[in-house]
Amino acid sequence: MLKLLQNEWMKLWNKKATWVMAILLVVGVAGMMGLTKWISTMEENRAESGGVSVEGPAAAPDWRMQAEAEREGISAQLADPDLSSSREAELKEELQIVEYRLAEDVEPHGSYSRQQMIKDSSGIATLAMLFAIIVAAGIVATEFSDGTIKMLLARPVRRWKVLTSKFLATALFGALLTLVGFVVSVAMAYILFSPDAGAELAVRSGEVAEVSVWTLTLYHLLLAFVNVIVYTTFAFMIGSVFRSGALAIGLSLFIYFTGNTVSALLSRYEIAKYLFFSHDLVALAQGITFIEDVTLPFAAAVLVAYAAVFLVVSYLVFSKRDVTA
Amino acid sequence: MANQAEPIVELRHLSKAIRGKKIIDDLNLKLYPGQVTGFLGPNGAGKTTTIRMMAGLMKPTSGEVFVAGKSVQNEFEAAMSNIGVIVENPEMYKYMTGYKNLVHFARMHKGVTKDRIMEVVRQVGLENRIHERVGTYSLGMRQRLGLAQALLHDPKFLILDEPTNGLDPAGIREFRAYLRSLAEKSGVSVFVSSHLLSEIELMCDRIAVIQNGKLIDIREMKEDSRPHHYIEAQPAAQLKAVLESKGYEPVESGAGFIIEEGAERIPELAKSVIAGGLDLYAVRPHRKTLEDEFIEMTGGGQIAEAVAK
Repeated sequence: MLKLLQNEWMKLWNKKATWVMAILLVVGVAGMMGLTKWISTMEENRAESGGVSVEGPAAAPDWRMQAEAEREGISAQLADPDLSSSREAELKEELQIVEYRLAEDVEPHGSYSRQQMIKDSSGIATLAMLFAIIVAAGIVATEFSDGTIKMLLARPVRRWKVLTSKFLATALFGALLTLVGFVVSVAMAYILFSPDAGAELAVRSGEVAEVSVWTLTLYHLLLAFVNVIVYTTFAFMIGSVFRSGALAIGLSLFIYFTGNTVSALLSRYEIAKYLFFSHDLVALAQGITFIEDVTLPFAAAVLVAYAAVFLVVSYLVFSKRDVTA
Repeated sequence: MANQAEPIVELRHLSKAIRGKKIIDDLNLKLYPGQVTGFLGPNGAGKTTTIRMMAGLMKPTSGEVFVAGKSVQNEFEAAMSNIGVIVENPEMYKYMTGYKNLVHFARMHKGVTKDRIMEVVRQVGLENRIHERVGTYSLGMRQRLGLAQALLHDPKFLILDEPTNGLDPAGIREFRAYLRSLAEKSGVSVFVSSHLLSEIELMCDRIAVIQNGKLIDIREMKEDSRPHHYIEAQPAAQLKAVLESKGYEPVESGAGFIIEEGAERIPELAKSVIAGGLDLYAVRPHRKTLEDEFIEMTGGGQIAEAVAK
């Protein structure tokens, strides 16, 4: 199996497109961080020049003012009698944190602080996912379109092994890109942004406690990777069932971009909970969801179940298919 | 000689139906070590389907293919480790070098070393260009690389589908000699499908002919030595009458007729034709080519039957 994986890895990196994607990822992430830095500098300059802006007060409002406003907002939401129990618990935790900040004078991280930039780095998983989808879509489909599938399958290796090596290569590629993007993003955060005195807070067994920004970020990155795997597996399935990379890329991205809208429309119905494109685990971990009563473990279970189904379909079709290409 | 040996490949009651239509119908065939067997048939007869079932690329509806006693259907890996395959044009990974392609395929077999790869590269005469991208190769070079990947693991059985496509005449000759030596020296059983009948004729010990999914003939190439002669005289109708009166069954061929007759009695026949007042234009030994036989066996149904010996 290791040899087969080596083969897939060799084929992958001998394609120019793979390198283009990797370089694009590095340049893209570095570029985005640079842009953020530029914007932050512009805002600082504006603030220093006396806050004479057409659009209201340009000076960053005191974090205390924001926290007060947040507290009022949460309290107002808690007053709603139709609130579901899980949502109520979430809001209560948030309220607890805000009150703790105000009482103990613990500043949150500023939006352009190094810590905040590190926290936001888990977002590069989306970019990595885009490239992983492209690879997943093509890894089986191009063997068919190039005619090499005949050479590949007329070997003393059972087909499920060949397919497994391809899936592992795709997953590995997704993981590698996620990791590379993350490292570049963190490196840029260190180069371009300076740390501030703020702290990240979370409720741990009823008590408010300070948490490391690293723990939180790596946790988010792991959650984001689950989403990456589900979409890549979907592209992998479409690519191996229909032998068309273009269809697989198109369909996956279509679902990715319209999925949110569709599940928002369906959010009143039970079924929305069971659609894989309804669940963004990172958002869910931050308490953002528009479907009621969805917990993180539930969403993760739904995603894993979908990935498993996609894989089973790929295996069944791939091992039974007559190669006529 | 080879027939005394155990067959290395055996097709047993092989059938394939696609969407209810029978493509291959109860095919039985044995292939022996050290023999080159040609696989002939008109387009759409089921050659490619048969070959793909032998190579594990398609699953038979019923029946089995055995290679060295192992079933391709039930003991896939054991059976496939004895087979080398070139299916139609050898499509390689164009974005990699020839060498990397070979490394790729070598990893899918047990015990193929780097030395073995280079040995095969030398055998097919690619050592000068092996580290270049396959995308830059000519069709002939790709054919050589295709042969190399099929030989890496020293297979006992080699399947070739239209192997001489794209080779120049010198390349074809070299290829033919190479296949013959593989069969004779290493005892490899070779199964070649081709449209080039003259090619098959020069290369093969035996031919199997398939039509409409059924095996219609298997024959040894060297066995057919009954002599024939071609005779042409005018008027043709009178010549036919003369020939028939002498007990021949003349077969019309161009402007003359073909009869089954050895050289000994030809002078006498010629004399009697001339004595009969006919104008004799030509008498020459006629060797049936594989093409004649092939057309005779498969060509256009009724005609074939009318011409049958």
